[in-house]
Amino acid sequence: MLSLSHLHKTYSGPAQRAILQDVSLELVPGDFIAIVGDSGCGKSTLLNLIAGLDLPDSGSVRLQNREITALDDNTRTRIRRRDIGFVFQAFLLLPYLTVLDNAALTLKLNGITHREAQHKAQAALSAVGLSELIHRFPGTLSGGESQRVAVARALAHEPKLVLADEPTGNLDTESADVVLQLLRDRVKAQRSIGILVTHSSDAAATADRIYRLHRGTLHAA
Amino acid sequence: MRYVSRRRLLLAAIAGCCGISGPPVVKAAPERSGIADPRRILQFPRDHGSHPAFRIEWWYLTGWLQDRAARDIGFQITFFRARPQLRPGNPSAFTPEHIIIAHAAIADPVQGRLIHSQKAARAVFDLAGAATDNTGVWLDEWHLTRHGNTYTAKITASELALEMKFAASQPLLLQGVNGYSRKGAAAEAASHYYSIPHLQVSGTLRDSGQPRTVSGKAWLDHEWSSSYLPANAAGWDWIGINLDDGGALMAFRMRQGDTGQPLWSSATLRDAAGTSRTYAADTVRFTALRTWQSPRTGTRYPVAFRVQIGALEIELEPLMDDQENDTRQTTGAVYWEGAVRVSSRGRPIGRGYLELTGYGRPLAL
Amino acid sequence: MNTAVWRALISGPLFAAPGRSLLAVAAIAIGVALGLAVHLINASAASEFERAARQLAGEADLVVRGGRAGFKEQLYPLIAKMPGVATASPVVELEASLHGRRETLKIIGIDALQAYAIQPQLAATDNGARNALFDADAIRLTASAARELNAGINDMVTFKVGTQPLPLRVVEILPDSSYRQRLGLMDIAAVQWRFERTGMLSRIDLRLAKGTDPHAFRQNLQALLPPGVHAVTPQTDSERGLAITRAYRLNLDMLALIALFTGTFMVFSSQVLALLRRRTHIALLRALGVTRSAVLGWLIVEGALLGGIGSLIGLAGGYLLAGQAMTFAGADLGADYFRNLHAELTVEPLTLLAFLGLGMTFAIIGAALPAWDAARRQPASELHARDDNDALHRPLWIGAGLAAMIAGAVLALLPPMGGLPIAGYGAVALLLIGAVLLMPALTGLMLSPAPLPSSTALALGLAQLKATPRHVAISVAAILVSFSLVVAMLIMVLSFRLSLGQWLDQVLPADLYVRAAVSGETATLSAAEQLRIAQSAGVASISFSRFQSLLIKADQTPLTLIARDLPVEDVHNSLPLVNAPLTIAPGAPPAAWISEIAAALFEWETGQVIALPLGGAEHPFTVAGIWRDYSRQNGAVLIDRRVYRKLTDDHSANDAAIRLTAGATPSEAERSLRAALPSAATIEIASAADIRKISLGIFDRTFAITWALELAALVVGLFGVSVAFSVQALARRREFGVLRHLGMTRGQISAMLAGEGALTAGVGALCGLAVGTVIGIVLIHVINRQSFHWSMELHMPWPQLLLLFVVTAICAAATAVFSARSVMRADSIAAVREDW
Repeated sequence: MLSLSHLHKTYSGPAQRAILQDVSLELVPGDFIAIVGDSGCGKSTLLNLIAGLDLPDSGSVRLQNREITALDDNTRTRIRRRDIGFVFQAFLLLPYLTVLDNAALTLKLNGITHREAQHKAQAALSAVGLSELIHRFPGTLSGGESQRVAVARALAHEPKLVLADEPTGNLDTESADVVLQLLRDRVKAQRSIGILVTHSSDAAATADRIYRLHRGTLHAA
Repeated sequence: MRYVSRRRLLLAAIAGCCGISGPPVVKAAPERSGIADPRRILQFPRDHGSHPAFRIEWWYLTGWLQDRAARDIGFQITFFRARPQLRPGNPSAFTPEHIIIAHAAIADPVQGRLIHSQKAARAVFDLAGAATDNTGVWLDEWHLTRHGNTYTAKITASELALEMKFAASQPLLLQGVNGYSRKGAAAEAASHYYSIPHLQVSGTLRDSGQPRTVSGKAWLDHEWSSSYLPANAAGWDWIGINLDDGGALMAFRMRQGDTGQPLWSSATLRDAAGTSRTYAADTVRFTALRTWQSPRTGTRYPVAFRVQIGALEIELEPLMDDQENDTRQTTGAVYWEGAVRVSSRGRPIGRGYLELTGYGRPLAL
Repeated sequence: MNTAVWRALISGPLFAAPGRSLLAVAAIAIGVALGLAVHLINASAASEFERAARQLAGEADLVVRGGRAGFKEQLYPLIAKMPGVATASPVVELEASLHGRRETLKIIGIDALQAYAIQPQLAATDNGARNALFDADAIRLTASAARELNAGINDMVTFKVGTQPLPLRVVEILPDSSYRQRLGLMDIAAVQWRFERTGMLSRIDLRLAKGTDPHAFRQNLQALLPPGVHAVTPQTDSERGLAITRAYRLNLDMLALIALFTGTFMVFSSQVLALLRRRTHIALLRALGVTRSAVLGWLIVEGALLGGIGSLIGLAGGYLLAGQAMTFAGADLGADYFRNLHAELTVEPLTLLAFLGLGMTFAIIGAALPAWDAARRQPASELHARDDNDALHRPLWIGAGLAAMIAGAVLALLPPMGGLPIAGYGAVALLLIGAVLLMPALTGLMLSPAPLPSSTALALGLAQLKATPRHVAISVAAILVSFSLVVAMLIMVLSFRLSLGQWLDQVLPADLYVRAAVSGETATLSAAEQLRIAQSAGVASISFSRFQSLLIKADQTPLTLIARDLPVEDVHNSLPLVNAPLTIAPGAPPAAWISEIAAALFEWETGQVIALPLGGAEHPFTVAGIWRDYSRQNGAVLIDRRVYRKLTDDHSANDAAIRLTAGATPSEAERSLRAALPSAATIEIASAADIRKISLGIFDRTFAITWALELAALVVGLFGVSVAFSVQALARRREFGVLRHLGMTRGQISAMLAGEGALTAGVGALCGLAVGTVIGIVLIHVINRQSFHWSMELHMPWPQLLLLFVVTAICAAATAVFSARSVMRADSIAAVREDW
C-alpha cells in the first residue's frame, strides 16, 4: 500500500521553482502504473520522495502505513533496502561484481545469509532468463541482458515497491519489450506495486494506468 | 725632536703590532728600563750597537741619490728595536723580548709618490735581532750592518729593493749635550742621540723597473730611550740637512696639541770646519710657507718651510709634494717624510729630509 | 581554439576538482621544500666551513701541519729561512677545555707580526687590543665565541689546563665580518706558556715569494719535515676537513631527493587517475579535431603548471624551514660536525632556480607519462567506453619491475665510487622503482586469494579492489614508496642504536670514569694526580688513557691515538673486535689495535706492520686486531700506554677507567677520589651508565632530522592515498548513488571506503615492509659501511614496525573516507540519473 497525499516540493536557489504541487496518489499491491511527462517535469523528484531519498516541503508519503517523511535517514535507508527495488535507465550494475553478486547485493544488505542470498538471486536471475550468465561480469553483457540483471536485482528481495526510472531508455525496441514484460510479470507475480517512469508511450502502454505529470501536478491520463 | 718623531712613529707601529704603551695597570712588575743619563759618555763602537735595556732604539738613514741619468731620488731606511712590557717568566722561545721593525721608502719624482715597504718581527730564533757590540740589526734578509767606518744595508721586497753601502766621510755628530738630547720641558723626556752626516752612498736601487746603480749622500741617526712624550704634544717637525759646504744641520720642534704652538725646539749646526753649536728653544723658529693636501687622506701638510736658526735663515722646498707615507696597515701612522732642497736667500745650500707628523689626527699616546 | 581546448581539457576539470590539484601541488611543494631546505642547510654549512678554512688559511700558499700534539718549534726557523719563503707564520692551535663547562673553545696562538701578512683580518681593531697583543693574560674572541661564552670586553674567561683553572681577560671581540667561527686568539708565546705547549707548534702557514715554484718548494720542504708532519695546500686542508662530513651530507641530500621523488610520484598518480576520469573529454576533443600532440602538450603544460606552483610554494617553504632548522638544530642538523662554525643561511639564486626546475621537471615527468598514454588512445572507442574495465587488461610491467630489482641488487654489490656509496643509492632507487612497477601485478596477486568478508560493505570494498588492481596499485605504490623508506630508516637507525648500545656496554666495562675535563685537550691528569687516583679508597683496578692525534697522510684528517694502560691478555675481551685478534710474536713490533674506520681509510689489515709518527719519529707497530668504533669518524688506533710513554716521555693522561672493589659504591668512590685530588671540583667523574646515556642522547639528536624527513615522506604517501581516493570517489559517484538507492547507509559506504583504504594501505605497507627491509639491509651493509666505514648488526624492530603498520592503515582508512566524503553527500543520488 503506497499513499501519497498533497506533496509539495520547491527547490530553493536563485530561481525558486515549484517542482511538485499537491501531488496525491494511492496504489495497492499488484498495481503497475506508468508516470509520463516531459523532461524536467518533476518525475525524478517524485521518485526520490517516494524512495525516501528526499523529503517533501509538505504532504505525506506512506508505505505500508508508515509515514516515511517522519523517519530519520538511516530508518528510511533500511525501509528502502527492504521494501523498495530500483531499475535505472543506465542499468548501474556494479562492474566489479558478477551478475550473481549484483543480483544478490540487496539480499545481502538485508542481512540474508550468503547461501540463501545466492539461492534467491539465482532464482531471480532464472526468472528473467539469465541462468547461464550468472558468473559473467556486467561489462560483458549486452544492454538488454544488463537491464534484465537490474530487474532481477530490483525484485530478488521481493520488495513491496519497484521503481523503474526510464528502464528502456538505453535499449533497442526488442530488448525494451522483453524487459518491460519481465518487469510487469515479476511485479504482478510478487504482488508488488510497480511504478514505471518513462516518456515513451510504448512503454507506458504496458501499465495498468497511466498518469501524466505536468507542471508539478499529477493527472490521470 | 728626532726622538719625538721616531718615538711617535714607533708608538704608532707598536700600537699596530707590538703594544709597548699599554695601560700601566695590568702589567705585573715590569723590568727596570734603562734611563737616558746626561752624565753618560758614549763609547764606540759599543754604542753603535743595540741597547737592550732601553725600551726603544732606532737606526735611521735618509738621503739623496742620483742614478746614471743624474735624476734625483730620495730614500729612507729605518730599523727599530722595541721592547714591549711583558709579564716576566714566560719560558716560550717565542716570547717577544724585543721587536724589530724595518721601514724603507723611495721618493722618485717619476713615480710622483713614495714607494715603500715595511716589516716587523719578534727577535726570536735569530730570525731578527740587533747586535750589542756594533751596529748589526736584521730582520730576515733585511739588515743594516757596520764594518769599520762603513755601513751596508739591504732591503728586498716586491715593491722595492735597496742594496747600499754607506761610507763615513765625517766624524759622528753628538746631538744635544754630548749625545744626551732633551725632548721637552720635563727632564725625563730625553734620549741618547748621535748622527753621522755626509755618508757617501753607493749601490743599487729597484722599484718597479730594472735595478739601477745609484750614488749620493745620506744622514744616519741612532737614538735610544725609554721615556715618554709630554701628554700635550700633537706632533712635530724635524729636519736633517747635509749642507753643500760640508756642514750639517739638525733641527726640530714639537707642536702643542690644541694650539699647534711649539712646545720645545732645538737645533745643532756643524760648520764645514767641524765646529758644532747647539741652539736653544728660543732661537729656532719654523714658519710654514706652503701647504699640500693629500688626495688620499685629506690631510694638509706644510711641505715648504722657512726655518730660522740663530742668524741663519733657510728655506725648504720638497723634491715633490706627495711624500706622504701611509703605514696605517701595519703601524697605524700616516705622516709625511720627504726629501727637501734647502736654500738660503735664493741660493741652494744643501739637501736633506723633512719629517712632519701629527697633522692628520692628533697624537694619542 | 587553444583557449577552448585549455578550458575543456585543463581548467574545467581542474576547477571541477580543485582538491586533487591542491594535493598534487602540496606534494610537489613538500618535496621541493624538503629538498631545498636540506640542500640549503648542507650548502650553508659546507660553504661556511670552506669559508672559515679559507679565512683561517688567509693567503697562505702552504700549510705545514702535524697531529694534535704538533711538532717541535725548532722546525720553524729552518722553514722560515728557506729560500722562497716570503712569510712563515707559526701557529699553536688547541681545543681548550673551559672551566666548569661542557663546551670547549678553539684557541689559536699566533705571532701577530707574521700572521698579519697572511691573515690581515686578524689585525686588532682597537688600541686596547693592540696594546694587549703580547699580553699573556689576554684573549681576543670572535663575536660568535663571545656570544656563546656570554663574555664582554674585560670579562674573564676561565679555561682549564691540566686540572688547574686559567683565567684570561677578554681584550677584544672581533667583528662577525672577520671571523664567524667560535675562536679565541692569543699571542703564540702566551699560548705556549699558559697552555703548557712550550716548544711545540701546531702548524706553520707559509707564503711563498713571487716566482717560487710551489711544487718544487713543497718537495724540498717535505724532505725537511719529520714523520707525521706534512705540507699541504690550504685547499687540501679545508677539503680534508669537509671530506669527513661529505658522506653525512650526501645522506641528507639523498633523503631530501627521495622526498622530492615521492612528490613526483604523487603528481604521476594524481594525473593517471585524473586522466582516466577525463578520458571521454579527451576523446571528444580528439574527435572534434584537436591533434594528439596538442592534447599531449596541454596535459604537460598542466603538469608544469602544477609543478611550478608547487615548486614556488616549496621554495618559500624550504627557505623558511632551513632557517628554522638551522636556528634550532644548527648547520649540521645536530650531528655535531661543525661545532666551531657559526653558519648563516646563504641562498644562491641559481640554487633556487635549480630547485624550481627540478620540481617542474619532476611534475612534467609525472604528468607526461599518463598524458602520453591518454593521447595515444583511439578516440572512437574511448567515446563509448562506459567504465574502466579495459584498463585492467593492459600489460602489467612485470618484466621492467623485475629488471629494475635485479639491477638494484647488482648495484648493491658494487664498491664505493670516489669514497661515496653512489651505487648503493642507485640500488635503493632501483629497488623502489622496481617495486612500484611490480605493484599492479603484486596487488592483483595478493588480493585475489582474499576471501570476501561477511560484512557486505567490506565485501563490496574488497570486490572493488580486486577488480581494479591498476587503480589500487597507484594508491598502494604511494604507500609502498613512503612506507618502505620509513621502514628502511627505522631498521637502520634502530639497528644502529642497538649496536651502539652494545658497543657502549663493551667499551665502558669499568664502574667509574674520571676525566680531566668533559671535552677539550688541554685538561690532563699529571703523573702525581694519577698516582693519587690509583691509591684512592675503593679503587680495585685502574686504567689511564692518553689521547693524541697523528697525521698519517697529508690529505687525511689526523688519526686519533689512544694510549691506554692495557692488561694485554684482557684487550681482546674489552675491545669490540670485529675479527679474530692476532697474538704478537716475541720480537715483533708492539701491538696496535685499529678501528674499522682506520682500517678502511688507511687500508691497513691485521698482521700488517704500520708506522706511527710518535715523538717526532716513525715507530713500527703490528696491527693486532680491528675493532668497531662509533665515536671517532677520523679513525683511531689503540696502543699500550707503556709503549707510548717510552716513545714520547709523555706521562700525562686524559682519563681513567676505574673498577671498584667489591662493596664500594660509586658515590663513595667519587667522594674519596675528589678528596684525593686537590682540584677535585674541575675533574669530571661519571659512571658508565651516565656516559652511556649521554652518548645515546647525542645519537638521538643526530637522527632527529631524519625522523622529520620520514614523517614528511609518510604524509606525502597519505596524500597519494587521498588523491587516489578522491579521484576514485568522483568516478564512483554513480556507484555510491546506486548503493544508496539499494539501501546502503552512509555509514556503510564509509565503512566500505575505510575498508578499501585500510586494505590498500595494508597491501602497500606489506610490500613496503618487504622492500623497506631490503633497503634497510642495503643502508646498513652498503651505504653506512661505504660512507662511514663502520659495521652494525641488523635488528628488526618488530614492535615499532607493527605500530607503524597499524598507524599507516588507520591513517589510510581515515584518508580514504575523508577524501570521498564530499561525494557521499546527496548529489550522488542525482548521479544515478546522469546520462553519460
